[in-house]
Amino acid sequence: VIASADELRIALEAVVGTMHVERPPAALLRRGGSARPAAWVVHPGSAPEVAELLALAHRHRAAVIPLGSGTRATPVRRSSVVVPVRPRIYLDSRRMCHVLHLDETSLVVHVQVGLTGLALERILAPRGLTLGDYPPSSLGSTIGGLLSVRTPGKSSTRHGFVEDAVLGVSAVLADGRTVHTRVAPRRASGPDLARVLCGSEGTLAFLTAAVLRIHRRPEARFLASHALPSFEDALAAVRLALREEAAPAALRVYDGAEARAHLGESVCGEAEAVLVVATSGPTDLAACDRDLVASATSALGGRPLGPEVAERWWRRRTGQEQAGTPAPPSMQVTAPPSRQAEVYRAVLASCAEARASARAHASRFAADGAVEFFTLTEPTGEVLTGERLAEVRTAAERAAAAAGAILLGSEYAEFADYAADLERRLDPEDILNPGA
Amino acid sequence: MARLALDAETLRRALLPIVGERRVSVRESDLVSYARDMWPRNLIGLHAGRRPGDLPHAVVWPESEREVAAIVKVARSLGAPIIPYGGGSGVCGGAVPILGGITVDLKRMNEIRSIHRDDMLVDVEAGANGERFERELNRRGCTLGHFPSSIYCSTVGGWLACRAAGQMSTKYGKIEDRVAGLSVVTGRGELVRTDGPARAHRGPGWNQLVVGSEGTLGIITSARLQVSPSPEVRILRGFEVQDLASGVEAIRRVLQRGLRPAVVRLYDELDTLINHLPIFARKSAAAASEDEELLARAFRTGPVPRAERGALPEIPPREQIAPTASGLTGRLLGLLGPSTPPARRRLAGRLRRGALSAVLARPGLVNGLAAPLAERLSRHGCRLIVGLEGSRIRTEIEARLVLGELERAGATDLGDEPGRQWLAHRYDVSYKMSPVFRAGLFVDTMEVAATWERLLDLHRAVKQAIAQHAVVMAHFSHAYPEGCSIYFTFFARATDTDQALRAYDAIWRDGMAAASRVGGTISHHHGIGLLKGPAMSAEHREAMVILRALKATMDPDGIMNPGKLGLPAAPGAAPGSAAPDPAGDLATAELAAAIPAEAGS
Repeated sequence: VIASADELRIALEAVVGTMHVERPPAALLRRGGSARPAAWVVHPGSAPEVAELLALAHRHRAAVIPLGSGTRATPVRRSSVVVPVRPRIYLDSRRMCHVLHLDETSLVVHVQVGLTGLALERILAPRGLTLGDYPPSSLGSTIGGLLSVRTPGKSSTRHGFVEDAVLGVSAVLADGRTVHTRVAPRRASGPDLARVLCGSEGTLAFLTAAVLRIHRRPEARFLASHALPSFEDALAAVRLALREEAAPAALRVYDGAEARAHLGESVCGEAEAVLVVATSGPTDLAACDRDLVASATSALGGRPLGPEVAERWWRRRTGQEQAGTPAPPSMQVTAPPSRQAEVYRAVLASCAEARASARAHASRFAADGAVEFFTLTEPTGEVLTGERLAEVRTAAERAAAAAGAILLGSEYAEFADYAADLERRLDPEDILNPGA
Repeated sequence: MARLALDAETLRRALLPIVGERRVSVRESDLVSYARDMWPRNLIGLHAGRRPGDLPHAVVWPESEREVAAIVKVARSLGAPIIPYGGGSGVCGGAVPILGGITVDLKRMNEIRSIHRDDMLVDVEAGANGERFERELNRRGCTLGHFPSSIYCSTVGGWLACRAAGQMSTKYGKIEDRVAGLSVVTGRGELVRTDGPARAHRGPGWNQLVVGSEGTLGIITSARLQVSPSPEVRILRGFEVQDLASGVEAIRRVLQRGLRPAVVRLYDELDTLINHLPIFARKSAAAASEDEELLARAFRTGPVPRAERGALPEIPPREQIAPTASGLTGRLLGLLGPSTPPARRRLAGRLRRGALSAVLARPGLVNGLAAPLAERLSRHGCRLIVGLEGSRIRTEIEARLVLGELERAGATDLGDEPGRQWLAHRYDVSYKMSPVFRAGLFVDTMEVAATWERLLDLHRAVKQAIAQHAVVMAHFSHAYPEGCSIYFTFFARATDTDQALRAYDAIWRDGMAAASRVGGTISHHHGIGLLKGPAMSAEHREAMVILRALKATMDPDGIMNPGKLGLPAAPGAAPGSAAPDPAGDLATAELAAAIPAEAGS
């Protein structure tokens, strides 16, 4: 058993070299609470090094905590698990940032997990390729982070969830064994084993590489915006357009207050709603999708807005315009189509009860639901913070869940036992991201 | 593999309080019926009059999820294996018991619980028959878009258990792409449910872990599936492409442009010929040999359901286009080089008879004939069927783009007729097996898949592997932006049953080894069952560790469908012990040796 921090450092250096072991920054140490276990940040350069590190950690029952680019949201703690005081190894994957293979015939890329989504986009762009219509703001984290932590923000109407782009993963299990799930467009040879590891937040295995589906950059793109009589009408218009099989690249619905905060005071009336849409693909099809959305909005009493509204939204979405970017929303929930309006009303009612106010937009529309983002404010429009925010948000989340929404970080409750059991089998010493 | 020493009467008594007298049976006639599915290897023996080897000890017909959970609990306490059973249309032996146990037939759980029009979701029980389910959806203006050729004789639960694909999967996706939620009775005897969009949840994606588990983790009792609005238009067209490679390239371009036709089928040279050889299309002339006549009848007859009725509405009327049969026949005859019409006909007859006697006799002759035949055929193109359906405006625009892309790739438009013919006969294949076996032949299909980069290698490797033993043809269908599946059909005749079984096993052993060797998957949509179990370690290699962990979690006592998916056969067997060798002479070690381990993925 390794007794001291120095012994641990020497063992780690033997695997990755002296240059790639460092003291953790103060912020990380604070997370450990009052106890100060031996802790090091290690930068492995390859999957075999990760395998050695995990085998080492397994032998010494050291905790292994994955670090990506540090953008991840703090995961919801499962319970007040007391993490025993034991050595900690922070595994920083950022040196593992290589494209291993780019198959332009099949439109498949094999990448190491330390590469960020944005860096990958920069490599793909000159070849006319892209990961998909994902919001660039969601691509700042590493591929490992994107695949390990599931948040609904990482999805697009046309290309689905980032996880749906996974054709295969390579990972190191807790005891240092390496596994590769095989790559095929689809298969019927048992469960999709990659889905065991995606979304597991580093508790079942450490991802080292992934094979992802990519796309050609679209031939054409159209932007449009419409004002509708109400938020509910706008949601109905989206449903109508999707029912007609429109496949927009991005689609967003703002309520009146949110539209005026995001797109300018003059964009619409207070009770109105704004729908912005981007369509892309072969020119004729992209135009068709644009027109399908337009006719759905006009069927619900909408009117077209000038092109500058949609263009402003698009520049901001793609990070070309930073000025006036509104604060991030206070809460997000996922709601199936039939529940979206009800969830919206429930949150507004709950806020009114707490003498607060809420504005909202909905996006990431997929067949099975969309994400509603709420910004909680004082009646004067000032954004809530601190304890007041926590209090109002807790009530609002409860109201949303009662109206049929799924909260961020929920689990399939009936599978909780099975998830815990699977974790015990794959990581019997509980070294991988314990407590997460 | 020894049948477990379970007392049938004890089982019956334990099940009685759950389902009552009439829904449990230990009668031999019932046990024999449930000892098989449509695995061709078993049919070879059955047609020779052999009894199925392994019978279940009891058959039970539950009517509710609570009953299913109670049955699993009883089985667990008695150490009896559970074999879930749907339509019995599986072709890999997934529902064949190997140790006996309790076969749980879910067909009495066949209700459509609700259709949520706003969310385009449907809740349906696992035992629902495919065609009835689709017809019911059609009545409400929806479609699941899932049309396996077994649609008349398979169930929703069966589709989910083996990750089935329908003929229009290129637009609607495979069944796993349509799952929004599942109810499962696990091997622990507990009913657990997933619900709500998976992307909103943390932890393993349970839907995708249960789908495809073939009853080895639990019994799927009901599902929430995504449906689509019924299509307003359907457009089907036939094309001829110069050769296989240019056809594959054309499909890849279509898919990678973001276009989603519902149907894409590219037939290789022999498949093109067989499907349009005159004797298969209509009654053969008197000159046909006895063998030829048998085969022709096998391909022509059988209680084939009308595809346009029931599961599918009529194709929206389009202007009649004169059949191009004369053109096609002309082309077939043209294969044989320039000569006068009567001489051409004689040559065509000789070619046909040559091919067929080769089919029916020795594989050596097949290869000798197939090579020059294939070479000749390759000069005359491959058939490609493309279909689109959906909402009127968008589908018509998409169709124009798809057809334009195909023409740019050099495909010749053959009009509507080939598509209409395919549509009318698209469920036939499931009903042709029996007559083929009666004719003394055996036939089976192997569906593999790979990314585009490896696709032609996959075709070549698997075709070569099978061609040593049988006549083989293939079509490419189920296309994706990143790859495609290949569907091989092979048939052969053997002098006796044992020889047939040996040949059958050799075909599968060599075919699957070839698929793994070039980086394809051994199954695109039929599943693993007993048939492909020995190839699972080559398919997943080290990742089998994860599958075994999952199995131990969901089914700690190992009672759920033992021996399938290459998992251990005996209840309670330690995870990691070798998979059984169901085919007798299909040695796992031998197979493993035939497949070199690859480094990396």
